[in-house]
Amino acid sequence: MKETGDAISVTFSPWPLPALSPLSFVEALGGGAAAWRGSRGGGADGVICLNSNINKRLTQVEERWCPHLCFLVLQRLRFNDFAIQPRTFRSIAVLLPNSIMSDKQTDIRKWFMKSHDKGNGNVKESKPANPAPTKSQPEKSVNESQENSGRRKTSKYFATDKQKLKDEKETQELPAKRKNQKDKDESLKPPPSKKVHKVDDDDDGDDFVLSSSRKNSVDVTPSKKLKSGSGRGIAQKPVEIEEGDEDEGEDKETPLKSGGRGRGGRGSSAAPAGGRGRGGGRGGFMNFGERKDPPHKGEKEVPEGAPDCLAGLTFVISGTLDSLEREEAEDLIKRHGGRVTGSISKKTNYLLCDEDIGGRKSAKAKELGFTYFYIVLPFSLRNGLFDMIRASKPAKAPVREESKRPVDKVASQPKKSPQKLEAKKDKIGNSLATNVANKGLTTGASPAKRKTQTVEKNALTWPEKYRPKVPSDIIGNQSLVKQLHDWLAHWNEQFLDSGNKKKGKRQNDSGAKKAVLLSGTPGIGKTTSAKLVSQMLSFQAIEVNASDSRGKADAKIEKGIGGSNANSVKELVSNEALSVNMDRSKHPKTVLIMDEVDGMSAGDRGGIADLIASIKISKIPIICICNDRYSQKLKSLVNYCLLLSFRKPTKQQMAKRLMQVANAEGLQVNEIALEELAERVNGDMRMALNQLQYMSLSMSVIKYDDIRQRLLNSAKDEDISPFTAVDKLFSFNAGKLRMDERIDLSMSDPDLVPLLIQENYINYRPSSAGKDDNGIKRMSLIARAAESIGDGDIINVQIRRYRQWQLSQSSSLASSIIPAALLHGQRETLEQGERNFNRFGGWLGKNSTMGKNLRLLEDFHVHLLASRESSSGRQTLRVEYLTLLLKRLTGPLRVLPKVDEAVQKVVEFMNIYSISQEDFDTIVELSKFKGHPNPLDGIQPAVKAALTKAYKEGSKTRMVRAADLVTLPGVKKAPKKRIAAILEPSDDGLADGGGTLAESEEDNSSDTDELGKLLYTQCKF
Amino acid sequence: MLWDENAPSIAQNLKKLVTEQDCPHLLFYGPPGSGKKTLIMALLRQMFGATAEKVKVENKTWKVDAGSRSIDIELTTLSSTNHVELNPSDAGFQDRYIVQEIIKEMAKNRPIDTKGKKGFKVLVLNEVDKLSREAQHSLRRTMEKYSSYCRLILCCNSSSKVTEAIRSRCLNVRINAPTEEETVKVLELIGKKEGLQLPSGFAARIAEKSNRSLRRAILSFETCRVQQYPFTSKQVIPPMDWEEYVAEIASDIMKEQSPKRLFQVRGKLYELLVNCIPPEIILKVLAFFSLLHSHIPQREAIDKLTWKLNHKGTFDCRSFYHALHIPKEERFPWKSIWAVKAPRRVAFFVWTVTWGRILTCDNLKKRGYVMQSWCCIRMLRRL
Repeated sequence: MKETGDAISVTFSPWPLPALSPLSFVEALGGGAAAWRGSRGGGADGVICLNSNINKRLTQVEERWCPHLCFLVLQRLRFNDFAIQPRTFRSIAVLLPNSIMSDKQTDIRKWFMKSHDKGNGNVKESKPANPAPTKSQPEKSVNESQENSGRRKTSKYFATDKQKLKDEKETQELPAKRKNQKDKDESLKPPPSKKVHKVDDDDDGDDFVLSSSRKNSVDVTPSKKLKSGSGRGIAQKPVEIEEGDEDEGEDKETPLKSGGRGRGGRGSSAAPAGGRGRGGGRGGFMNFGERKDPPHKGEKEVPEGAPDCLAGLTFVISGTLDSLEREEAEDLIKRHGGRVTGSISKKTNYLLCDEDIGGRKSAKAKELGFTYFYIVLPFSLRNGLFDMIRASKPAKAPVREESKRPVDKVASQPKKSPQKLEAKKDKIGNSLATNVANKGLTTGASPAKRKTQTVEKNALTWPEKYRPKVPSDIIGNQSLVKQLHDWLAHWNEQFLDSGNKKKGKRQNDSGAKKAVLLSGTPGIGKTTSAKLVSQMLSFQAIEVNASDSRGKADAKIEKGIGGSNANSVKELVSNEALSVNMDRSKHPKTVLIMDEVDGMSAGDRGGIADLIASIKISKIPIICICNDRYSQKLKSLVNYCLLLSFRKPTKQQMAKRLMQVANAEGLQVNEIALEELAERVNGDMRMALNQLQYMSLSMSVIKYDDIRQRLLNSAKDEDISPFTAVDKLFSFNAGKLRMDERIDLSMSDPDLVPLLIQENYINYRPSSAGKDDNGIKRMSLIARAAESIGDGDIINVQIRRYRQWQLSQSSSLASSIIPAALLHGQRETLEQGERNFNRFGGWLGKNSTMGKNLRLLEDFHVHLLASRESSSGRQTLRVEYLTLLLKRLTGPLRVLPKVDEAVQKVVEFMNIYSISQEDFDTIVELSKFKGHPNPLDGIQPAVKAALTKAYKEGSKTRMVRAADLVTLPGVKKAPKKRIAAILEPSDDGLADGGGTLAESEEDNSSDTDELGKLLYTQCKF
Repeated sequence: MLWDENAPSIAQNLKKLVTEQDCPHLLFYGPPGSGKKTLIMALLRQMFGATAEKVKVENKTWKVDAGSRSIDIELTTLSSTNHVELNPSDAGFQDRYIVQEIIKEMAKNRPIDTKGKKGFKVLVLNEVDKLSREAQHSLRRTMEKYSSYCRLILCCNSSSKVTEAIRSRCLNVRINAPTEEETVKVLELIGKKEGLQLPSGFAARIAEKSNRSLRRAILSFETCRVQQYPFTSKQVIPPMDWEEYVAEIASDIMKEQSPKRLFQVRGKLYELLVNCIPPEIILKVLAFFSLLHSHIPQREAIDKLTWKLNHKGTFDCRSFYHALHIPKEERFPWKSIWAVKAPRRVAFFVWTVTWGRILTCDNLKKRGYVMQSWCCIRMLRRL
C-alpha cells in the first residue's frame, strides 16, 4: 500500500476467481483526478471512495468498471483502521461513507441510482414500467463475451469498457438505427471485430479526461442492446421501444461535458430515481430480513457461464437481491459450481447482498474483517455475480480470434486464468467419455482405483454394487459402527464365558445388553454396517427380515427346524449351547440380524415378545434393526437392547462417496450437484445411488440442473407437518404458491392448520402491506383475516354438525388460505422472550381447561341445587352469584381476627349451600384472572388448614342423601353416576321414600373420583 | 314473593288459569333477573301443592342411540313427583338428542297418580332460546303428541330465538324486568327484614347499577353487606370480578390498536372463557364498554365546522364548483350496448344486466320467489 499524495493504490493478489484477473486496488482520496488518472494508467482496477466527491467517483467507477466491480462498503474510511492485508484481500472495493449508510432518508439504492444516472446518462433511467434499461447491462456483456472474449481474456475489467467503446463504434456503423446519435469525439471507423480490438487498446490507454468519450461510451449502451437484440434474438422489442426515449435523453445530455456531467445527469435522473418505486417506497436496507420480492425479478437475463466458473467459492446471500429470488440465486451459484452457505464464516468469499447493507450478516462480515470476503453490492449482483458467471463462459467464436490477436500490453497478467478455463472446456468437450476428464473435473475423487470398474457396467444395481466393503467405507456414523464392533467383539466373553463361570456377575452388569437395536432412517447403512461388522469379526450373519414370517415360535419346538422360520430362530438362538461344549474355534460364530423389527405386523403375532424371549436365552448376539426407535411396538424391546441411533450422513460426506461412485461409473458430475442430490434424498444413500444410476442411463454428464429437475417431483410427496404447512402458507414467498398447493397445505391437517393459522396470524408483518408506517394497513389486513377466520368457523360448524363435508374446501379457504394470503410475510414476536416460531394453537389447551372448569362448575351447581337454596342455572351461578359466594367464603377468613370463629362461619355457610371442599376450590379457581390478585391472597395457610379440618369434622355429622332416580323407560342401562346429594339434617333423613343412605365421606370420595375422571377431557368443539 | 309484587296481573291470570282450567304449554320470556323462574316455581306450587317443593337433583348420563353410534349425554335434572326441570341446551350441539330421546321419554311417561287429580306432569325446560334449531323442531312434535298428559313450561331470555312454531304452541308470557323503583322497594324490604340500616339513596344506587335485574340487585346488596357494614352513603358498589376484567379489556382495546395489543386482548378473552363466562355475555358487556369509550373524543381539539367537499376541511371555490358542476351519476352506456353489432337478444341481455335486472337468485328473492339457496356462504351467514 503506497500513498501518493491523496491517493493510495493497492495491489492484491492472488485473485481468487480463475476467470478474472488479479485485481489491484485504488483509493482515490479526496477526489484527485490526477491520482485517478495515474492509477488508471497503471491498471488499477478498483476504487475506494470517501465522503467527498463520492458521487463523482462512483460515476467513474460505474461507468468504467461497473460490470466487474465489487463494491466494498466500510463504515468509516480511515486507512489505518482499514488494515488491508494485501495478500488476503482479494477485492476491489468502494467504500461508502457512513453518512450514506445510516441516513434514513437516503435509500442506498436510490443513491446508487442517482449516481448511476448521473454517470450513465439515461441508461439507468427507469420508469417502473420499463424494464429495458436494466437489461442493457447483461446483454452488453453477453455481447462482449461473444465478440470480445479474446480481449477480455487479458483483462476482465477493461473488457466492458472496451466493449462499450467498440459498441459505440458499431453503432455508428448502423446509422439508420441511430440517427440522432451524433458523437463528435468518436471518429473511429466501424471495423470488424479485429479492428475493434485495436481501438480498444487505444482506448484503454486513453484517459479519463476525455470524459465526453466516456460519456458517449455510456450513452451508447442502448445501441448495444439493439445489437445484441438483433444478434442474439433476445428481447428485441422492448429494447427498440426503449431506444427512442433514451436517445432523446442522451441528446440532451451530450452537450454537457465533463464538468456538467453531474448536473446533467441529475436533471434527467431526479424523476426516475424517485419514480422507480423502490427508492422512496421502501424502508430499504434498514429493515433487515424482510424479504421482499426482488424488484427487478425476471427483468434481467440470467447469464449462462462455464460450468465451474465459481468453483471453490463460497457465497452467502443476504437480503433481497436485485433481480433474483434468493433460491434462484442459490441455484445459479450452485449451478456454476459455487457453494452457498447460510452464515458468514471465514471461508466465505462473497456476501451477496442488495438491500441489506447494515443488516446482521454484513455486520458480522464487518466484524470478521474484510479480508475474508467481499460485499457484493447492488450493482455487483447484477453485474458482479452475473458477470462473473458470464465472463467465465468461453465464447464459441473467439478461439480463432485469439490466435490472430496480439497480446495486450495493458493487462497482461490476467491472461492465465481464462485460458485455463478454455483449456478445461476443451477437455470437457473432447473427453466426455474418458476418465481423464473425470480426473480433471472432479474433486476429491480417487479415480485411479476405480477406473477399472467402469468397464464392468453390469446388471448389479448401484446400491448393491457399491455397498461398502469394509466398515470404514460406511458413510458417517463411524463412532456407532465402532461401538457396534466393540460390542460384537466382546459379546462372547461378556455373556458366554461369564455365563459359564459366574452368573451373578452378568446380571449385575446392567450396562451390557445382549442385543443391539440399530435405528435410523432408511438407506443410511444400518443393515450394511451390521453385516460388515459381523463379517469383519468373522461372524456368520444370519439375517431374518420382514420377508420371513416371524411369528411366535411354536411351543413344540420338537417339530423341528423344518417348520416355521421362528422355530429355526429359536433353534439357532439356543443351540449355541451345543457348540459351547464343542471346540469353539471350529464352530463358526453366528450372529442373528433381525432386520426391520418395527415391521413385525399382523402376520408376526407375538413376534416382539418372542424376540425378547429369544434375547433372554440367546447364546448368540442379536442385532435388531428398525427405522423408528420410538415406535410403540418396540417399547418393550428397547429395554433389552443397546441402542444405537444412526444419523443421516452430511451432504458433504454423501457427496464424496457419490463422487467416487460416479467416477467409477464414468459419470461426470460435479460435487455441488452431488451435494444437491444428497440434500434432496434426505440422507438416503441408497436412494441417491438409485437416482444416480437412473440418470446415468440417459446422460453421461450430470449437471446441477439435471438433479434439480429430476428430484423436483419427488420432493413434493413428502408428508408435511401442520407446522411446516403453516410456515409455508405464511412464508414470505407464499404469494407464489399455486392455489392447489395452498389447498394441499391447508388440507394436510384440516383441524390443526386453521388453528395454527388463527394462533399466529397476528404475528405476521404482511408483505402485501408494503410500507406501512402506522400499521393501519396491517391492522386492516388482520381485520379481514379475522373475519375470514370467523367465516371459516361458521363453515366448520356446518361441516361438523351437519356433516356437510363438501364444504371442506370452502372451510380451508376461509380459515387458512385467505388469512395466510392476506398476512403472509415476515414473522415477528409480539411478546418479549417469545421465540420467533409459530406457536401451537393455544386454543386447544384453553378449551380443554374451559371444559374442565365447566364440569367443575356443573358439579358445584348440582350441589347448590341439592341444597334447595337456589334454583338458578349454571350460567347465572357463574356470572352473578360467584362474586358474592367468593366474598362470603373468603371474606371472614381474611377479616375476622379469630381463626376459629372465621372458620366456623365459613363452614356454616358452606353447609347451608352444600358447598363441598372441591366446590370451594372451584369457586376460587374460577375467580382467578391473570393479572389480578389471587382471591386466596392474604389468607394464612394455617387458616386454610383449619378450614379443611373443620370441614372434615363437620362432614361426620352431616347426613347426605343420595336420592335414587325414578327409573325411566328407554334408558337401557342403569345410570352410571349419581351425584345427587341432598343435604339434610340427619333426623328427617328418611322423609323421602326409596332413598339409599350413604355416608358423606363416601360421597366425598366418590366425588373426587369423578372430578379426577373429568379432568382434562378434551372436546372437539 | 314476587308472586304479588312484580307482575300482579300476570300472576293473577296464571293463578286463575291453573286453578280453574287446564293449563296450556307456557313460554316465559324476559330479561334475566326479572323473576321467570320464581314465577314458574310459584306456578308449580299452585298446581301440585307442596309436593312440587320436594325436589331431588339427579345428574346422570343417558345413553342415546344416534343412528350408528350411541352417545353419552350427561344431564342434570331437578325433579319432583310431578315435574321435571332440565336444561337441555347444556348438551351443546347434541341437544337435539336430549329433545328427541330424553324429553320424549319423559313426556311419554304418564304419571301414576292414584287420585287421578292432576292427570298431567310438567316439564320445565330452561334456556330454550339456546336450543339449536333442530332441537326446537324436534320439540315441536313432542309438544303436540303428548300434550294430553304432559305440559311444557319453557323459559328463556329472548323469545326471538325460539322458533315461531314453538311460540305458537305456547301461551307466551312476557315477564318484564322490574323497574328501578320496584327494585328499590324490594331492597328496602329486604333491608327491613334483615334489620339493616340503609343510607338514603343507597338502594337506588344499587338498583341503578344492577341494570334492572332484581337478582343482581339483591346479590350486590348482599355483597355490599359482606364487604362493609354499616353502610355509608358513599360506599362503592363492587362490580362483578369478570365485569371488571371485561372493562379492562375494553379500555385496552380503546387505548391502542396494534397487533401486539390484539394478542394481549386475545389472551385475556381466553382467560374469561376459561373462567366459564359465556361468550355472548362477554361480547355484550364488551360492546357496551367499547361504545362508552368510543364516545370519548380522542383528540382534545375545539369543534369547528368543516367543509366536507375538500379533504383539507377548508372551503374553497374549486371544490364547490366541482360539486355543482360535475353530475354525480354516470351516464347510462346505451351506446356501448345498443350500438354494438351484436344480436338483439345479446344486446338486450347486456342491457338487463346493466340495469341489474337479470334474474339471478337475489333478484328473484327480492321479487318474492321462494327458492332454495345454493350459495353455501350466504346460507351459512343466514344461520
